[in-house]
Amino acid sequence: MASITEKAAAGTGTWVDDRLGSANFVRRSLNKVFPDHWSFMLGEVALYSFIMLLLSGTYLTLFFEGSSREVIYNGSYTPLKGIPMTAAYASTLDLSFDVRGGLIMRQIHHWAALLFMAAIVVHLMRVFFTGAFRKPRELNWVLGVGLLVLGIVEGFAGYSLPDDLLSGTGLRIAYSIALSTPVLGTWVSFLVFGGEYPGGMIIERLYPIHILLVPGIILALISAHMGLVWYQKHTQFRGPGRTENNVVGSRLWPAMATKMVGFNMLVFGVLALLGGLFQINPIWLYGPYDASQVSAGSQPDWYVGFLDGSTRLMPNWELRFWDYTLSPNIILPTQVLPAVLFTLLALYPFIEAKLTGDKGYHNLLERPRDNPVRTGLGAMSISFYLLLLVAGGNDIVATIFHLSINEITYTLRAALFIVPPIVYVITKRFCLSLQRADDALLHHGIESGTIRRLPSGEFVEETVPLPPQYAVLLQTTPERKELAEHNAHRSDGPTPALAGSSPRGFFRPKRSPSDASPEGQKELEG
Amino acid sequence: MSNDSIRERLKASEETVETAEVSHGEHPVGDPTHSTHHSYHADLRNDPKRQKSAERAIATLFLLSVVGVVGFCATYVFWPFEFGEDGYEYYTPALGAFMALALLGIGAGAVLWAKTLMVDDETIQERHHLASADEDKVAAAAILKEGLEDTGLARRSLLRNSLLLGGLSLGALPVPLLFSLGRYQHKERALATTGWKQGSRLLDELGRPVKLGDLEVGGVKSVFPDVEGGRRMADSASLLIRMRPEDLKLRESRQEWVVDGHIVYSAICTHLGCPVKLYEQQTHHLFCPCHQSTFDAAAESKVLFGPAARPLPQLAIAVDDEGYFIAQGDFNEPVGPSFWERKPKYPQQPKTDDTNKGH
Repeated sequence: MASITEKAAAGTGTWVDDRLGSANFVRRSLNKVFPDHWSFMLGEVALYSFIMLLLSGTYLTLFFEGSSREVIYNGSYTPLKGIPMTAAYASTLDLSFDVRGGLIMRQIHHWAALLFMAAIVVHLMRVFFTGAFRKPRELNWVLGVGLLVLGIVEGFAGYSLPDDLLSGTGLRIAYSIALSTPVLGTWVSFLVFGGEYPGGMIIERLYPIHILLVPGIILALISAHMGLVWYQKHTQFRGPGRTENNVVGSRLWPAMATKMVGFNMLVFGVLALLGGLFQINPIWLYGPYDASQVSAGSQPDWYVGFLDGSTRLMPNWELRFWDYTLSPNIILPTQVLPAVLFTLLALYPFIEAKLTGDKGYHNLLERPRDNPVRTGLGAMSISFYLLLLVAGGNDIVATIFHLSINEITYTLRAALFIVPPIVYVITKRFCLSLQRADDALLHHGIESGTIRRLPSGEFVEETVPLPPQYAVLLQTTPERKELAEHNAHRSDGPTPALAGSSPRGFFRPKRSPSDASPEGQKELEG
Repeated sequence: MSNDSIRERLKASEETVETAEVSHGEHPVGDPTHSTHHSYHADLRNDPKRQKSAERAIATLFLLSVVGVVGFCATYVFWPFEFGEDGYEYYTPALGAFMALALLGIGAGAVLWAKTLMVDDETIQERHHLASADEDKVAAAAILKEGLEDTGLARRSLLRNSLLLGGLSLGALPVPLLFSLGRYQHKERALATTGWKQGSRLLDELGRPVKLGDLEVGGVKSVFPDVEGGRRMADSASLLIRMRPEDLKLRESRQEWVVDGHIVYSAICTHLGCPVKLYEQQTHHLFCPCHQSTFDAAAESKVLFGPAARPLPQLAIAVDDEGYFIAQGDFNEPVGPSFWERKPKYPQQPKTDDTNKGH
């Protein structure tokens, strides 16, 4: 039996190779080595969510009608029977109630979109905090930021399509933001919506944008993103035998490839669980869109939430001069802020390289503590983002905790400027402490818990040297300029471990020479 | 963790110290033999019994997928799914559970297989240098330069300039097509007017005209203009509020815009256009649920809080011969969010010219 399969496989292989010369490529690909680390799976989660988005989305297009034509609902969801609505909303209801398996595909699609964005954001944080974006991978970082922005646009277009009350509210806000653009606002908003809101065209236009244009670009960018990972080879963490010039890990074939396929199925499985068991976007409860209606607690999907937050926190500045109106209260939080944030994000690798003067290749990753300034900046940005996200749900926070929404807003306005710098300082200091702890481990060893009394009466704790596979990591970490500076400014001198005493400082009381007084000794002995 | 296990670990690490030499020569980052990589496969390599049990576990997981698929198909066909049928609300969860079982079974089986029975020993591969060799760079630049010289672009300025002009003009080609996308004619007028006209009655959500006396003091009602499609006009939705006449704080010119404590505001937020529909009758506050702009309905809807910069436009109303509320005209200023061409000041009287909007 085996020989027949082998013969068939060999025959097919030869047939293909005769025409494509593929054997060389296949040989190199199957032998390609990938470094292994759990955090490298985050990008995979995004990829597999995207595949699920394509699969479930294709199924949905077979039933969804992207049209604002008015129909009278006559489906099986009785509470809405006889109510006039758009064909988009009615066909989404049909998908939810009259197509067998339609609801689960809708919910899987929505959950996959939420997971896609979450995985992208967490993957981005991994790449940032480990310095994986450094030369030669700056271009791939830029592609990734592009994917993040496109993901937000695609997600917004997607949840705007069903034309329920929530999506219509979001669209009206989008229209108003476009309308407030200086000079071009009325032109841009009329161009996109076809006329004064609602314009009657937006669903017809969003539909091809959502199912063809943006996913097509995303697909192309993902291919380029992964092609570059393949071509430039994956980064790796420091470890025994790992250098800037090699890749240490598992070969693609067979274990790595099998694990990837298995992990793909696991992500799909989790999405199936979410889509089946956890209700998401129950549009039949919101009702069809009505420009005069809105429900309290209207929230966008989470990845748009930070922009809603910035909009809520913005003071009501509006300038009126000559015959014109300029609306900083709208354009600053909704146009300028995201433009600045995403530009800074995309340019970060170049900014860091410029400021540090670092022109070298980097295939070895850093641990967050190895680069206190970058880690501080990252934590600072996350705190800024989280404050905006909380602000986006300030009405929910007010309801749950019985707080005044005005006070929450004032507090968050102040926090947006006060908290991030504090987070920066604390994070940087925390990194330095971790570095000092590393030094202590390296030069002092692991605390054994065994206390020995010396003939002189002094008590000392025995330590065990760090195992070499860990010691080598610490010995080879990059130069720690900040730590040296930090130590130089400390009153108690360099890292205690280096000075041969026990570690102390951040979480321990500082010991002054007087601690070694007879009273102190007595206490220990007693 | 018990003391014993700590001791064992320490002992183990001491042994490693003795047997291992950290090499800094060939591998600046140490010796790969001290890798932290753990291979389950290596544990099972010489243990046929454990291999067999791993094989059985993997096969079980794969077979669970079959159970999932069968369950999914059975649910799809036999479970009641029509809205209102007994147990229909479990249709989607059951589909999801079986689908998940099918996918997780295959996935977990594959991962377990790779981790236990497949070789995944650590391998080292050299990276290729990404930057090209210097002679390649020079050659590429030379070819590029030579080709450019061949075209004569630098010498033939007529060709160069006409190409530049021709190429740039291509950029203008799609502009006329963009004009098809929006109805730009009279866009300022479209933004400045709503469906309200002089004499149009105030209809409630069900299309019934609202009469003086329909509303109690403290009451509030959504109202729409009595014109074709007025109920659906996104810019015309308004709010009729009744409060005690002495609570109203209005400028002199607007005293005639209200009827016995009844006052009408545009329901479209001046911030981003959400309907401002939450009314708090004790404080007369109007609240927008989207971004929390708060307006004082008693004082010409002055902005009290939030990102909105302007009060809600007020509709001048009156009562006709039969006692129904009517509009004195359109809003005196554009409703809804700000835009560039919005003027700082509008005349303080209702727009009474009979403009048809063409909704």
